[in-house]
Amino acid sequence: MTAEIRTSDGELLSVKLKKVERRRRTTAFLLAAPLLFFIVFAYVIPIFQMLGRSIDNAEMNSFLTETHEVMQTWDGSEMPGEDVTSTFYYELKTAVENKYHGKIATRLNYEKGGFTSLIKKTSRKLKNFDENANFLDQFIDVHKKWGDIEYWQALKRGTDAYHFRKYLTTFDYEQKFDGSIERIPEKLRINVTLWLRTIFVAVGVTFCCFILAYPISHLLSVLPTRYSNLLMICVLLPFWTSLLVRTSSWMVLLQKQGVLNDTLVSLGFVADESRLELMYNMTGTFIAMTQILLPFMVLPLYSVMKTISPSLMRAATSMGATPFHAFRKIYFPLTYAGISAGSILVFVLAIGYYITPALVGGAKGILISNRIAYHMQQSLDWSLATAMATVLLIAVLVVYWLYNKIVGIDNMRLG
Amino acid sequence: MSRLTKLISLAALLVAPSMATAAEVNVVSWGGAYTESQKLGYGDPYQEMSGVQVNWIDYSGGLSEIKAQVESGAITWDIIDVYARDTIIGCDEGLFVEFDFDNDFPAGVNGMKASDDFFAPMPSDCAVGNILYSWNYAYNTDNVNFDGSYPDSMEDFFNPDKYPGVRSIYSSAMSNLEFALVADGVPASDVYDYMEDNGIDRALDKLTDLCTNPKGGCIFWSAGAQPPEQLVSGEAIMATGWNGRHFNAIVNEGSPMKMVWDGQILDYEYFVLVKGGPNQEEAMKALQYFTSSEGLAGSAKHIAYAPFRISSLDVIMADEPWFYSEQAGAVEIMPHMPTAPANTENYVLMNPEWYADNNTEINDAWEAWKANL
Repeated sequence: MTAEIRTSDGELLSVKLKKVERRRRTTAFLLAAPLLFFIVFAYVIPIFQMLGRSIDNAEMNSFLTETHEVMQTWDGSEMPGEDVTSTFYYELKTAVENKYHGKIATRLNYEKGGFTSLIKKTSRKLKNFDENANFLDQFIDVHKKWGDIEYWQALKRGTDAYHFRKYLTTFDYEQKFDGSIERIPEKLRINVTLWLRTIFVAVGVTFCCFILAYPISHLLSVLPTRYSNLLMICVLLPFWTSLLVRTSSWMVLLQKQGVLNDTLVSLGFVADESRLELMYNMTGTFIAMTQILLPFMVLPLYSVMKTISPSLMRAATSMGATPFHAFRKIYFPLTYAGISAGSILVFVLAIGYYITPALVGGAKGILISNRIAYHMQQSLDWSLATAMATVLLIAVLVVYWLYNKIVGIDNMRLG
Repeated sequence: MSRLTKLISLAALLVAPSMATAAEVNVVSWGGAYTESQKLGYGDPYQEMSGVQVNWIDYSGGLSEIKAQVESGAITWDIIDVYARDTIIGCDEGLFVEFDFDNDFPAGVNGMKASDDFFAPMPSDCAVGNILYSWNYAYNTDNVNFDGSYPDSMEDFFNPDKYPGVRSIYSSAMSNLEFALVADGVPASDVYDYMEDNGIDRALDKLTDLCTNPKGGCIFWSAGAQPPEQLVSGEAIMATGWNGRHFNAIVNEGSPMKMVWDGQILDYEYFVLVKGGPNQEEAMKALQYFTSSEGLAGSAKHIAYAPFRISSLDVIMADEPWFYSEQAGAVEIMPHMPTAPANTENYVLMNPEWYADNNTEINDAWEAWKANL
């Protein structure tokens, strides 16, 4: 039998230890609780709400519940019967009385263009309807579009309580009424181009940042403190400046009559008539974004390089390695953690960028985030915007997952 | 200081701002020279007269912000200056207050009741007219050597072979489609009939020719202050824009620019009253003053936009030179109005219904065109 060890106040030591441990854990949790709550309320819940919005059509469904139900038995191959048209008439009448027919029109217009005027005109004429006569004929009398079966089909689809069609739109596909999925007409395709462009820019900017940041970080890590501090301030300065200020400064520098072009012309490198096009194209986007994101690459690299002992390189050289060989075999592999941390940071930030590319890149600077902003602010098709944002979120998570598979997240060092 | 007094003074500090701002109205408009004209023309006079503080907030159009405010239940805007298209969409969505026009708005100084005094019927029940303005284009007379011949038609804007250089155009479809069709030979008065009939594609093709021509090229502007800036900096050789902004750059800033009126689009601008805004009652009173004969004439003192009321023109003409600025002194404003006879020889009348009804298709086609440029 093992001896029971007791503390001075007579409690079992194991029990006492557990108590102390529990209290410490509670304190630790309480300390972290505000942050946890903040993350849940400001981050997790909004994200799920956003995911919900992309497929949720409940409001629209509630406006026209009965029409939607009656339409379930209608297969859409020929014009709808009186059961559908009469139900729709009465529900639209209620909508007009309660003034939400405008919302119906707007929502249906996302489903099929032309609905705005159709619903509006119909709403105005609704009071002239004879409730004993044929409704379909009266609808067609008001507006010939009601004679087009596609509008009735769109009405059926547009009142689904939820749907995934916005995700198809995100990749320039559409679902026909019969369920088949097709690419949209070539002239209207936009999103795939922008996804590819966004990825291209994000990868390109990450690469440019890496090329520029590596030597700077190395320099920072080997210079004596008083010089490296000064250099560090230069790197961090952009951090302390507003994004818009930095972007506008680039515009001043890069424009055709800008500082850079003026200098080149006055030095005679470039003729006055053929000033360089540095802005409103890809070049501008790359220059500005690389500069703005550079610190995010420098800092992780620097913190990793700082810990590499100079004696390692000396040892390699003393054993006969050429400087290049020593760098490749010893130094470079030791900085992997910093490279990967910096790259993922820059990539994730770059993939969601839109203000800088839009200002400096002109039409060529439109990225997928611009489209999200556009649908949030201009077209007001929030379900499409959230569907695109969700895809973007998933893309970032996939990158993270790939990274974890290939490099391992434990190897990431941010500082 | 005792703890109690500290607490009281802290509470007073927190309460004070909300007390001081009891009587105020938040008006949202497009910024720059335009907002300035509204502030000087009727905002400040009203503030002085009524003691109600008028706050001016800048935005760049669209209904998203107000929609977000309404959805979140935290409405801070009272009056918004919007495109006709947006009065229609916003009214349908129930964002704005519907007016009982002749009861809500005073008769003109000429005695005509409000609905007769305004140039054109309102596009929706939620709108009250504000100005008539023009989308036209301007060029920089200094920066560019046109060998003695200067552009004077919409065709010239779309002819980079004759007038090489980058063009700055509006970042949305509005105005660009109309200009392109006019330049392509469509009679200005029939532009929207052609739009229904494959016109969007035709216009976009014309724009593609301009923007992909190595002698041409396009950049895009989104704020009204940009086109004059881009012309002065030489970033663009010609730029479409709002005539009041061009006028401001020429008259007040002495920029070497000239406007071309051929193919101009005559457009209306409106005020709307936000439903459930923070100061709805005060805002209604302010709006009545803003859109009165004197109010609307007041803004024309500071910018070359035509007031929406016929009676405001009487006010102006009785007192020409009406326009005044420190830089330019007194200027006769009537010849610079978008409605002046010399400026309306060939013009398009904006059709907001067409934009409201076909918004989605137009924008989808436009954005896809822009992204694939």
